[in-house]
Amino acid sequence: MTERKGNAQELPNRPGFWRSSINPWTVRTRNNPERVAFVLHRITGFIILAFLLAHILETDSPVWSQYFPYNGLSGWALWPHIMAIEAGLAFRIGEFIVAGAVLFHAPNGVRLLLTEFFGVGVGKPGDPKPPYVPFTFTAAQRQWLYAVFVVWIVLWIIAGVIIFG
Amino acid sequence: MAGKASSLQIWQYITAILLIGLLGFHLLQRVPWIWGVSTIDQTLTAAWVYSDYVHYGWALLLLAYVALFHGLNGVRGMLLELHQGRLYEITINVLFWIVFIAFAVIATATVAKLPPLH
Repeated sequence: MTERKGNAQELPNRPGFWRSSINPWTVRTRNNPERVAFVLHRITGFIILAFLLAHILETDSPVWSQYFPYNGLSGWALWPHIMAIEAGLAFRIGEFIVAGAVLFHAPNGVRLLLTEFFGVGVGKPGDPKPPYVPFTFTAAQRQWLYAVFVVWIVLWIIAGVIIFG
Repeated sequence: MAGKASSLQIWQYITAILLIGLLGFHLLQRVPWIWGVSTIDQTLTAAWVYSDYVHYGWALLLLAYVALFHGLNGVRGMLLELHQGRLYEITINVLFWIVFIAFAVIATATVAKLPPLH
């Protein structure tokens, strides 16, 4: 399934996409937590987007309920009803998962901004020498990545205390 | 907006920088200890949320626009990685703008047409 454009040949990138993106643990790459962070960034992004769309509809309830009353409730009278539903355990667990997604996505996004957008923390290029470890793997971004994982877990615990407290 | 991968990604970075401030502000509104209350539920009462809309409605609206763009643009970038083709790219871009505009309109209505508390 190759496409030809002029003299250039484009190879399809589809084979391997799902394997490498959705299930990175099947890809044989040693010493590559960046790969794990890459996939977690995508998975948490999907979780956050799903929540965001629902959150916009939920917070618009004082407006839309004026035109489509729910259980006979409209305007701000509906708000306590919605909050009572969301106080249930299933919704609390959902909020905890969304909090975890945000608290990973944001610090890792800052790391990506620094490394990809501002180009810092990725090391300087040089001649490859055995054992041929990529320079980015020993640069500051690797320490930042470990810091992201630590910050994520600490903040997620605090979020758990707030949500279930 | 052009569908070039480079421009899509630059918009991701710009919106990400904005989100750090806007989302940080939004989440701090829900931390009970900051506001002298004991539970998150006390920051989610109708009176509390109404006050947020009245005082920071513009910030919440900006947050909704930026977060929507960042999230949907991220999915668009992934879908454009998955497959290439003129019709496919047009379809993805049109869907992106339809979903973005639809939810942006709902978010705008939340602030612009907010009913009084009582």
